[in-house]
Amino acid sequence: MTLQQLSPDGVEGATPVLSIRGLSKTFVSTRALNGVDLDLRAGEIHALVGQNGCGKSTLIKVLAGFHQPDPGVEIRLGGEEVELSSTADAHRAGLRFVHQDLGLVGTLNTVENLMLGRRLTTARGGRIRWDAERSDAERRMKDLGYGFDVARPVAALGAAERTGVAIARALWDWEAARVLVVDEPTASLPREEVAVLFAALQRVRAAGLGVIYVSHRLDEIFAIGDRVTVLRDGVRVGTWDVDAIDQDGLVRSMIGDEKLRPPHDQSVEPTGEVALAVTGLNGTVVEDVDLRVRRGEVVGIAGLTGSGREELLPLIFGVASRTGEVELDGRPVPANPRRAMRAGLALVPADRRGEGAILEMPVRENFGLTDLRRFATRFGFLSRARETKEVTEWIRRLDVRPPLPEALFGALSGGNQQKVVLAKWLRRQPAVLLLDEPSQGVDVGAKAVIHALARQVAADGACVVIASSDDNELCDTCDRVLVMRDGRIVAEVTGSRLTTAELSRLQLGLGATV
Amino acid sequence: MAPTQQAIQLDEPVDQLPEPEPRASGTGSRRLLGKLAPRRISAIYLLGSFIVLFGLLSPDTFLTEVTFTLVFRSGVVTCILALAFLVPLTAGVYDLSIGAVMALGLGIVVYLSLHTDLPILVTALIAIAASALSGAVSGFIVVKLHVDSFIATLGVSQVLAGVLLLMSNNTQLIGDFPEGWGELGRGDFAGVPVVVWMLLLLALVMWYCLEFTAVGRHLLATGGNRDAARLAGVPTERVLFGVFVASGAISGLAGVVFSMQSPVFSSSVGPGYLFPAVAAVFLGASQLSQRPNVWGTLIAYFALAFGIQGLALSASSASVWSQPMFQGVSLIIAVAVASRPVLRKLRASREQAPESVS
Repeated sequence: MTLQQLSPDGVEGATPVLSIRGLSKTFVSTRALNGVDLDLRAGEIHALVGQNGCGKSTLIKVLAGFHQPDPGVEIRLGGEEVELSSTADAHRAGLRFVHQDLGLVGTLNTVENLMLGRRLTTARGGRIRWDAERSDAERRMKDLGYGFDVARPVAALGAAERTGVAIARALWDWEAARVLVVDEPTASLPREEVAVLFAALQRVRAAGLGVIYVSHRLDEIFAIGDRVTVLRDGVRVGTWDVDAIDQDGLVRSMIGDEKLRPPHDQSVEPTGEVALAVTGLNGTVVEDVDLRVRRGEVVGIAGLTGSGREELLPLIFGVASRTGEVELDGRPVPANPRRAMRAGLALVPADRRGEGAILEMPVRENFGLTDLRRFATRFGFLSRARETKEVTEWIRRLDVRPPLPEALFGALSGGNQQKVVLAKWLRRQPAVLLLDEPSQGVDVGAKAVIHALARQVAADGACVVIASSDDNELCDTCDRVLVMRDGRIVAEVTGSRLTTAELSRLQLGLGATV
Repeated sequence: MAPTQQAIQLDEPVDQLPEPEPRASGTGSRRLLGKLAPRRISAIYLLGSFIVLFGLLSPDTFLTEVTFTLVFRSGVVTCILALAFLVPLTAGVYDLSIGAVMALGLGIVVYLSLHTDLPILVTALIAIAASALSGAVSGFIVVKLHVDSFIATLGVSQVLAGVLLLMSNNTQLIGDFPEGWGELGRGDFAGVPVVVWMLLLLALVMWYCLEFTAVGRHLLATGGNRDAARLAGVPTERVLFGVFVASGAISGLAGVVFSMQSPVFSSSVGPGYLFPAVAAVFLGASQLSQRPNVWGTLIAYFALAFGIQGLALSASSASVWSQPMFQGVSLIIAVAVASRPVLRKLRASREQAPESVS
């Protein structure tokens, strides 16, 4: 069955292919979705936009059968009411998903990836019909507008091609599929590859499916979308034909009428010397970034996923190879974590569990790792007493719960883990503290402690740089915020202009509207 | 700061707290009880039950000084090899070449005793140095060429096997050692075999380095999470290189001790020692601190050795086949039982990871 054969009935029907009425979802303390209505027509690409935390992800997870909605909702597929109480239900109802991480096996090729998770019709003796599978895979990829070699490992394909494979797999059974949900497909895509992906999505639309397209990049929505629905704080703000709305209108509806930020209560002008100087820094995405941070200053880095924001701090710390210069007080900082640490830098990585600490080690040992020399007595003997004394002191200071040096790091809650990671760096009294997504997966209480600490460290004369996807965090904590887009720093925001609304506009690439 | 949230947070981690660490130096009855928990020292209970069981089955032969001395004396080489395997394992990498490197050490000592007039101690040092060099080669392959340690050391051990065949012409070589050398292998000091003293000395040094020094902490951190260790300033590349050099040198020492006990070198020596050594380390890792550790390794080895010896004595027909079967079965059972709580603990902490919301 090919796409072309299915296309005729892709005319706008009277009944939407997917219709949601009154969708609410309450988590323990927060209401992620509140009475959302959504209609998806067959043969349309329907963009779903909103800021982080607006409820997009929850909505998709409800559709996928991953979250159970609050009672009172009505979800219809092709006019028929369905209950999505499991992922199997969602699949049976014709809902198909391409998630941001795609879920492909990199070492396998396209043919093999398309075979995953589906019952194969094999020849006698369970033999896979490789020739048939291969030509089938080729045809499917061609239907989506791709012409690459399906025998190459998926890891060797371009990002847009990989997304294509994921789409082909999600739509393996075209006949049964009604709705394709694509979540942030372009977040990690170079600009030039976006067009390839769009071509594939247009073919899916032409086949009569409804496509829900989630993206942060607003310009794309105007390029590919037919209609757009905006969510804000779990509520649907509205649905428009893309022709009937412009980018400014869209942004306004996404961020609402946010008030200007109250003047920063700690807005003492940092008068310290420039201590951290980054010049012409290049990485994979990061391109020619200059950065100057004074002592006593808290500088924020904002940017969408893929903008280079998540790469910048590890580059400064020397985690990955880089070109360009990093200097502290005029002295070059080598591109090597150990030497950067010796030079006075400290990095709290974004991936706390993967890079921030060693899960199966107790708090005490994780804490001590950054400087074991101060515990050493004669013959290199590490004094357990000194170790315990110092870690206990920090546990008390940062209110780590439970306050036990021997607790396994992996058994702590996110917030307490982050406090321990911070403590292990703060004990070195770094001259530069780099915080990458410091409050990701952290509870409100710990978040407050972390932000207060960041300010405190700066007040004590260090440079603090916070890279974060949480604009509120940046506005609340930073003296100024640099906005990244496409690997470069494109704007700097300070003072009363430092609002989440302004940051959103700049990250989306709409220029400052004052 | 919402107080309720704090309270909720507090509950979970407290439940999941591990019992007090047994390697804690502190005292107190709770610590002591924790130390005696069967889960943590199952090998000692196992050892005890073997001694009782086989003591009852064959009291005349098993419960004799001869048996005990024999088991300890003949276990020294394997134990040294196990300690050689332990070092890289602590840092999260495998050295499967330990058996071949031991053979290299032995081969060099024997070869030099036949073809040169060097004092035996000098040849022993040369053998250990050459073994360390072989470890350095493995380290280079792993660190600089980014080859997985499993494959790298497997390859190195085959290369060494080739070198040894070349050196020995595929014949059996009998070393020409001074009288005192064999005495070291056979003799006692203070009622305990000299080679056992050597093992204990090595174990003490390693225990000290691994548990009480910065080097040991760096090894553990590298083994726990290489990326996180590197980001915390641990020189992970140097650590990885170093563990292979150390493992090579210790394996070479095992070869030297072997030559004290038996001056015969043939190309079949070596590979057979790999499994018992590896088994002792993994079984030992389920003991005491529940990560690879020196005393757990030794206890585990001797528990197995006494079991094998007891079987051999109580059923004469069991002597040959019982050894590998016994080792295999007990390794699997012990590790399966011991790894469950660790797995559960990690799984629990993983589930607790908050779901990201975007």
